Amino acid sequence: MKYLKSISFYLAIVIIVLISFTPLFVLIKLAIASPSLSMGETITNFSTFRFANFVDAWDSSNLGRALFNSVIITLGSIFVCVTVSAMAGFAIARFTNWYNKLFFRALLFTMMIPAIINAVPLYVIMNKLHGLNTYWAIILLLSANTLPFSVFVYSSFIKSIPVEVEEAAIIDGCTRFQAFWKITFHFLKPATAAVVIIQGVGIWNNYAQVVFYLTRSSMQTLPLSINSFFHKYGADWNLMAAASLISIVPTIVIFVLFQKYFVKGIQAGALKG
Amino acid sequence: MKAIAKIINRIKTNLHKGMIVPAVLLFITFTLLPIIFSIGLSLTDWNGYSSPDFVGLKNFIKFFSDDRAKNAVKNSVFFALLSVPLLNIIGLSYALLLDRKFKGVNFVKAIVYIPAVISPLIMGYIWMFVLQDNHGAIFAVFEMFGKGDNYINFLGDPKMAMYIIIIVNAFQFVGLTMTIYAAGLQGIPQDLYESSAVDGATKFQQFTKITFPMLGPSIVINVITNIIGSLAIFDLVVSLTGGGPGYATETISLYIFRQSYGGQSGYAASVSLIMFVLVLIPVLVSLRIMKKSRLHLED
Repeated sequence: MKYLKSISFYLAIVIIVLISFTPLFVLIKLAIASPSLSMGETITNFSTFRFANFVDAWDSSNLGRALFNSVIITLGSIFVCVTVSAMAGFAIARFTNWYNKLFFRALLFTMMIPAIINAVPLYVIMNKLHGLNTYWAIILLLSANTLPFSVFVYSSFIKSIPVEVEEAAIIDGCTRFQAFWKITFHFLKPATAAVVIIQGVGIWNNYAQVVFYLTRSSMQTLPLSINSFFHKYGADWNLMAAASLISIVPTIVIFVLFQKYFVKGIQAGALKG
Repeated sequence: MKAIAKIINRIKTNLHKGMIVPAVLLFITFTLLPIIFSIGLSLTDWNGYSSPDFVGLKNFIKFFSDDRAKNAVKNSVFFALLSVPLLNIIGLSYALLLDRKFKGVNFVKAIVYIPAVISPLIMGYIWMFVLQDNHGAIFAVFEMFGKGDNYINFLGDPKMAMYIIIIVNAFQFVGLTMTIYAAGLQGIPQDLYESSAVDGATKFQQFTKITFPMLGPSIVINVITNIIGSLAIFDLVVSLTGGGPGYATETISLYIFRQSYGGQSGYAASVSLIMFVLVLIPVLVSLRIMKKSRLHLED
């Protein structure tokens, strides 16, 4: 009976792993298969590999440029998101006055607004600000979108950290502002990990917003580039998969690097809130 | 000189009072202003370039006679009605199954999460490759057994295409739902289980009387974020079916996107506001229900 139980448990685990790994498996198989293979062979053939797909995909599209744009936009947005929302979270958690409370409630409320709803008016605003096809505007826009979630996570996480850690620093001559950056911020690693994994990946993969505001091909990010790749070359699946795989690797690296803190961040940040 | 130094010093010691300002500025420019603007725009016939004319509530009246728009709303609601329970059932089962120590548990959790870091756009293309008619991977398997004629054209059938999107979406984002449940499970004190076991509670009773109520905050967060995410689904539909066949899988986001590109900006803004109400109602209702059953979000 006990054996049966643990066998069925491990069977369940194997099935879960297989189901979750299938998309990535298909993508990898496609990316390293020769285009001359039939679809069935692409999946079943384990003897020949063709790494030239990556080179071909790189050469036949603006993938390099798109990778560069994605890196700039994601790093910029994450930097703005983390600094701005950590400070706002700190203000909300430590100084309870009416405007902090009001702002927090307004933020929580806008969490319910799907981003596409603002697409048209935002286009007009971006146009007025001369922000279409620029890094700074898309960075500010994308980080503004992350605010509700990030501020929420940071403020509830900071509430769980005793005030005494800052007070000690203030006695030593720091201002409250300095105390936050020098002391409190270092305790926020799990919250930052949760924010970076969820929002960083979301920004890297963002398509629904950037498609409106980055229309020039030199400003395309990876999702835009891959989408236009698909429309240009149709079902050239192997090159497409190679291009997609290049765009996925950084997100997997981010996830693996921050995974250690991730659950802790969600636990303290989102659930205790 | 002394006065300037004093002012600088004063700014330095009071700098913390301004810590919320950058967030407020971003919020006003990129969230609040567009919402207000959106309401104004929805009352016009603006086409994206020429000057807009005020048309009152005409756009909203138009919506109710616009079959394609109503169909898009229906599709989004149908998607959410199936997606939210599916995501939560799979997510909770995964979390319960993985809430024990065994070799490689973190690896399994990472594998389950990894689809969520893949762009939904790419995810859509992957499954399009697998499922497409005549030259897809599954079709090839059917052919291998000589059953090519019996192949179900998954993405060509209106009903089937919708179910496919629901399933692909569920398995892509179940990692996040699972992680939130897993975090919730870790927060339940073990002695609750021990003392209830002493009192003779069965495993099933422990689940309904301890685990489930203690997961309250996780359930609230998951259900609400899943409702919002499901009603706003966009990227996956764009790449997997493009709203097709016909308009069978066109969701409200995709419809708004197409209208705003098709020179119907004013109308798109009004449909956006209708969509907002569509999201708001289920979120407020589920918050209310959960508050009543004493599972609540503190603020």
